[in-house]
Amino acid sequence: MDDVGVVASEFATVRVSLDTQGNSPRLRLEDLRSGAVRFLDALELESIVWAPEGFLRELLDPSRHRWRDDGSEGCGP
Amino acid sequence: MSTAELTGDLRSRVRPDRVHGSLYTDPDVYARELERIWYSTWVYVGHTSEVPQPNDYVRKHIGPQQVVLTRDRTGAIHVLHNRCSHRGNLVCDADRGNSSSFRCPYHGWTFANTGELLGFPFNQGYGGAQAKERLSGLGAAPRVESYRGFVFASLAAEGPTLREHLGAAAERIDQLCRLSPEGEVELTAGWVRHEVTANWKMLVENETDGYHPQFVHSSIFSISGSGIGALYSDKSTAVTRALGGGHSENDLSPEFRRLGVPMGWSGTPESKIPDYAAAMRATYGAETGDEIMINGSPHVMIFPNLFIAEIQLFVIQPVAVDRTVQHVTAIQFAGAPDLNRRLVTQCVGSVGPAGMLLADDAEMYERNQRGVAQRQPEWLDLSRGLARERTDEHGFTVGTATDETSMRAMWAHYLTLMDPA
Ligand code: FES
Ligand SMILES: [Fe+2]
Repeated sequence: MDDVGVVASEFATVRVSLDTQGNSPRLRLEDLRSGAVRFLDALELESIVWAPEGFLRELLDPSRHRWRDDGSEGCGP
Repeated sequence: MSTAELTGDLRSRVRPDRVHGSLYTDPDVYARELERIWYSTWVYVGHTSEVPQPNDYVRKHIGPQQVVLTRDRTGAIHVLHNRCSHRGNLVCDADRGNSSSFRCPYHGWTFANTGELLGFPFNQGYGGAQAKERLSGLGAAPRVESYRGFVFASLAAEGPTLREHLGAAAERIDQLCRLSPEGEVELTAGWVRHEVTANWKMLVENETDGYHPQFVHSSIFSISGSGIGALYSDKSTAVTRALGGGHSENDLSPEFRRLGVPMGWSGTPESKIPDYAAAMRATYGAETGDEIMINGSPHVMIFPNLFIAEIQLFVIQPVAVDRTVQHVTAIQFAGAPDLNRRLVTQCVGSVGPAGMLLADDAEMYERNQRGVAQRQPEWLDLSRGLARERTDEHGFTVGTATDETSMRAMWAHYLTLMDPA
């Protein structure tokens, strides 16, 4: 696993590394404040690169991710 | 004291040749200054070079108000109040950072760096995500404008434009920028904060008071071998000039032109900064490049809070009637790495934590604040040079290098804001 570094601001701290345990490399993101981990593969990353601006803005709504209470399935990665 | 009482009273406390000591100590006066000056006129907030990248932000202030200066992803500049629209927590804590959005640490309300509310945790309690439409985002300064990278904000929706506010002081910013071979100033050297127990006007008045340097700063002038101190004398051709709008300057350039030495104003001989001198002549041509380097950097107080003192820049922040913070940085010029290194070293000596120039002034501010609290003789004298003031070829009022022309003009402008006729 290649450590890329820590991306941090006063609002969040995420360790970014390259994971090579799968059959192709993946990006490993670890939220250092909670320990939660998510992997992103090449196609997912490409989709983020090309996502419209509104996509990330919507995702920044806390009720869309970790702090949901609309009864939708699952939480976190 | 009620507003009506204060109104009639203020004009009696500001006379052409003196001001009443209570103007520095009266909490009612201070409260009105916040409303009529700090939260109405254009106040300097920060510089675009402090937020060079999309989504950069820095924490700044407009008097006691905490604000965040942001550059959004499109490059536009915003000045936001640092106050969560939920229950009023401070949203940003770090002095600087890069983030497209800010999340309040109290309950997680999240805002774009334009101020827009992006969302909040567990939104069912508000009836779902659409509640964003009715809830507010971060407050924003209604007017934000910049001049040559210097960002000013006004908390009043209407009033004079920034250019009208700056008036002739804009030319002093031009003069400063011309000292860069790329025509740009960069405020990237970092900030030192000095807090003094003194009213903010003590500082504003002192910045272009040419009467005190020979006394208060004689030690740093003698240790550094600087010839600047001697220019603050009535024998000097330097002048104190009221630029209008409460702005004023000590213009030492006639002396620098008389001496005719490129960079003579800076205390750094050209031989020590050959790359800079060459770049200046390459940009502006040999003759104009020399003129700019001879003429020097401005010493200008832009009312109410931006003081450009040749090689350093101060931002004045009142936090209480008798408490003021000075934020100071070394000016850096784009395309001038050799000069910039020397400017930082010089500023460490003058205004750094152990610097000698600001420490001298700070001592005087605090003594002055304690002094004006004494009961007699009530008034501060402002008459120095009143009888020998003249109008220069551009129509500005000027006095000698040691005259109190700038203070009288500041107070006249102060009255137009505090008690419009
Ligand atoms: S005060 Fe900011 S989220 Fe509650
Ligand atoms: Fe608690």
